[in-house]
Amino acid sequence: MRIAFRLAALFLFCIVLIGCDAEVKKSPQLLHVPGVSSTEITLGSSLALAGHASYLGSQTLRGALSYLRYVNALGGVHGRLITLKAMDDGYDPTECLANTHQLISSGSVFSLFGFVGTPTTVRVLPLIEEAQIPLVGVLTGANALRVPFNPYVFNIRASYYQETRAAVELLVDKLKHKRIAVFYQYDAYGFDGLMGTEIALQERGLAPVARGTYVRGTTDIDEALQRIVSAEPDAIMLVGTYEPCAAFIKKADELGLDAAFFNLSFVGAEELARRLPDDIKGDVLVSQVVPPPLTPEVHELMGIADDYVRHLKEFYPDAIPNAVGFEGYLNARVLVEGLRRAGRSLTREGFMKALESMKSFPLGGEAAVAFSPKDHQGLDKVYFTVLEDGEFKLINTTDTLVHQRPLARNEEPLTQ
Amino acid sequence: MIRSKFAQLSLKNKFFFSILIVILLISGAIALLARWILISGLTQELEMRGTAIAHSVATRGTEYILENDTAHLLNVLFDEKQLHERRHLVAYIFVEGKKGKILSHTFTTPFPKDLKGINPVSKTMEKSVRIVPLGGHEAYDIAVPIKEGIYRIGTVHVGLSKAHIDNLVGKLRAMFLGFISAVIIITFWVSHRMAKYIADPVMTLTKMSDDLSRGNFSSSEIVNSGELAHCPAFHDTDLPCWHFDDQRGGQNKIVTRPHRCKKCAFYNEPGDGDEVQQLTSSFRNMVWSIRLYRRRLQESESTYRSLFRSGPDPIFVVDVMSQKLVDANPRTEEVYGYTRDELVGMKYSVLGEEHAKECFEYFKNDELCAEAMKSARVVHLRKGNVPMYVNVTACLISYRTRPAIIVSTTDVTDLVEKDAQLIQASKMKSLGEMSTGVAHELNQPLNAIRMGSDFLTMVHEQNIDIPQEQYAQVVTEISTQVDRASDIINTLRSFGRKADLLLEDVNLNEPVGSVVSLLSRQFLIEDVHIVTELDPTLPIVTAQHNKLQQVLLNLVINARDAIVERNEKEGTGVRGRILIRTEYDDTGVSVSVEDNGAGIPEHVVEKVFEPFFTTKATGQGMGLGLAISYGIVREYCGELTIQSAVGEGTSFTVRFPHRDMAVAANQG
Repeated sequence: MRIAFRLAALFLFCIVLIGCDAEVKKSPQLLHVPGVSSTEITLGSSLALAGHASYLGSQTLRGALSYLRYVNALGGVHGRLITLKAMDDGYDPTECLANTHQLISSGSVFSLFGFVGTPTTVRVLPLIEEAQIPLVGVLTGANALRVPFNPYVFNIRASYYQETRAAVELLVDKLKHKRIAVFYQYDAYGFDGLMGTEIALQERGLAPVARGTYVRGTTDIDEALQRIVSAEPDAIMLVGTYEPCAAFIKKADELGLDAAFFNLSFVGAEELARRLPDDIKGDVLVSQVVPPPLTPEVHELMGIADDYVRHLKEFYPDAIPNAVGFEGYLNARVLVEGLRRAGRSLTREGFMKALESMKSFPLGGEAAVAFSPKDHQGLDKVYFTVLEDGEFKLINTTDTLVHQRPLARNEEPLTQ
Repeated sequence: MIRSKFAQLSLKNKFFFSILIVILLISGAIALLARWILISGLTQELEMRGTAIAHSVATRGTEYILENDTAHLLNVLFDEKQLHERRHLVAYIFVEGKKGKILSHTFTTPFPKDLKGINPVSKTMEKSVRIVPLGGHEAYDIAVPIKEGIYRIGTVHVGLSKAHIDNLVGKLRAMFLGFISAVIIITFWVSHRMAKYIADPVMTLTKMSDDLSRGNFSSSEIVNSGELAHCPAFHDTDLPCWHFDDQRGGQNKIVTRPHRCKKCAFYNEPGDGDEVQQLTSSFRNMVWSIRLYRRRLQESESTYRSLFRSGPDPIFVVDVMSQKLVDANPRTEEVYGYTRDELVGMKYSVLGEEHAKECFEYFKNDELCAEAMKSARVVHLRKGNVPMYVNVTACLISYRTRPAIIVSTTDVTDLVEKDAQLIQASKMKSLGEMSTGVAHELNQPLNAIRMGSDFLTMVHEQNIDIPQEQYAQVVTEISTQVDRASDIINTLRSFGRKADLLLEDVNLNEPVGSVVSLLSRQFLIEDVHIVTELDPTLPIVTAQHNKLQQVLLNLVINARDAIVERNEKEGTGVRGRILIRTEYDDTGVSVSVEDNGAGIPEHVVEKVFEPFFTTKATGQGMGLGLAISYGIVREYCGELTIQSAVGEGTSFTVRFPHRDMAVAANQG
């Protein structure tokens, strides 16, 4: 009987041999870590430094660089200076892809850092996955970077879904608005904001009363304006950048629309404020994922704002601290902490593991960044600001500027 | 080699291997066929997809190439490469410019140098497919030219990951192998079970057979011993069981209907279950039959064994080939005086030389083998060569597969001696009866002698001179008379002598002569004439002269008595006549004694040979004469017959076979 089994096994083995003819070989590990030399760590970034969204890119870069320069001035991380290779994509996905491909394929970049914009970043996601290169700190709350879970992308800021959910809570639950319209940029960013809003509204048995779009890089908003104004909304969610949003708010106001204009953080609050007249009838609100750096309560909320202001002043004396820049600064802090934790023998995997080991990286005050191997969402907090006297101010008390002023609230983490 | 090895395999393994090999061959054939169809089809299909991607890139990228817009060209490449599931299939896409310059590529590393200028497309070709090395892997490089008008402005290369294709193929293969393996395993299991199902009962049967061969009938696998108690046929060997006595033939065939239990404890009715189960139950039935038979045989054997052991007569077994004794019962030891150890291995001829010879002769004849050979009064020798008379019955048997003769002897020495005494007594009686006659007979020569001697005395006293011739005549007469007296006395003496036991050649005329000479004169007194008609050419027979004399004496005396009786009854003076005649024919020699006496009534005829039967008045006869005569005649294998008619006379005939035939008859 044993012979029988042995024979059978032999036959099976033969069949297996017939079936297979080549074994899949494992690719050899690269010994050389790209972008890492004994003295230098090169990071790559593609962001809008020119064009209609240049404010976002340049402010982010400036914020980040102010900290990186500070770190380099102190001798870098583990004896390596950090170089950030920033390329301008003009908020154009095509350019962003080309930039990113160039950064990656040149083999001179250790990690990607500080990308700006949803459509641009989403465009390069497959490339990032293929190249297996980490991407840390993106100035976008796009859902695509979070769901499905992407092991190479480390998001620090709260997502658009979280922002829109908070916004809908504020507008519908607190301010009792029922008629919500959505104005959005016709691309991945706008869709994300629209969907987040729609989902949040749907939970309350509501739906947007009107939707209006514009094309990225233009200010052609009339058709959208027409559509939204005619729907007579109580509040409008604006998912766009400062230029078209400012134009929309102005024109809507001119048409006599008295509604709450709620913008997402990506709008670039300071730039929006700069472009708006003071006499807007409705409240202009912006949700933020970092508190405005100059807000008095910022010590309690996120203490490193002081460092940001200090470092910015040190390296960019002319610059004015703002939320976008602060976010870039914050990203840089998390990045450097990750590099520190990764140690001297730096690899991409080691770096990502180091980031994932951040159970609670304090940012001063009550804020702390937390990652885990299963969670690459560092912060979940959404802050509300309201335009007042040409400045966006944190809503922290029951203010009179809005009918009911809720405190900045902790947003629940997104359930994926 | 393989065939002989296969032949040595057990049934189970044969079955198992046959099925397995067939399934494996079929599976292998299917696997190869499917591999060929699936894999070649899949590869072709994927190549077509790669070509389609290349064409798509060529179409979409043309304008960017012309404008030298590498950013958009790159986007096109990535769009094509990373469209959903394509990212796994497409390893790379790159576009070569006019002079082989790489315009754009999708590698995440610097463009591999070894791909530069690889897989060129000649002007006439629409596409070119080639396997190229890619890092540690290989890729199918599909090159398609990009044309503006009729001139080429570049080439699109789409690399299909061979690893991915192999992976897909591998998945297919694994699925297929899994399926086939499952089939094989199931078949393996099923065939194993089936083989077991068939082979196990056979193994059990084999084991049972082995048990049976070893004589182990109580193996629990064969028949549950507890059930023995319920079978009446098992305990009562005389009870015929329908199960096998139905088939019994020959002499033992039972006429009455065999016993049939309502439900047989052992016999399983056929028809339930499949062939294997039927075989098993049939086998059990057979075992049960054997067991019953065996038990009966054992009982019978032990019965006969005890008969053999405790038999009152010596019984022994003689091997036909070696003519030696192979077994003997205790009685043999007693009678023959040998121990068993001495007996076993002893030549039969030591015990009884003549009979041994006859015996082996007899059993050589095949036709006679079935019959037992009976021999009466054979001389056997005890230890120390002491002779004894035995009656022997011998029959042929098979003893331990060899032909053997079972010999049973009965010691009849005492009987023979008693017979002789009886005969002697009866003879003496006859002599007594004859004494008057004999005295008378003797008187005559004595008277003659007296007369002669008186004459001679007178001559002497008176000195009568007689002629010498007369003198010589007287003396001669006296001498003759003395001889005659002497003869009478000799005859008487020989008659009265006790016969010994040895047979001799006898001419029947001789005893007849003796008896006649003894009695004729005496009978004349009673007016009974003895007439003889003797055949001088009579053949001799094997018997004893002395005893034949006695037989004839008895017959003649009886004849005389019958004549006397008739005379007394009828009163008429019929002249008594006794005719003694000897004659022979082809089958035997006979002597008949015929009288014209009273005759014997029919109802008495049958009884005349019975001992102590007599028609004479009490005190005149013992009724043993004819019975003894009959016994003597039988002893020599002869016949004594009677023919009688009341008032006319009686005729006794003694008939012996020829000597040659007597030997044969003796054995019959």
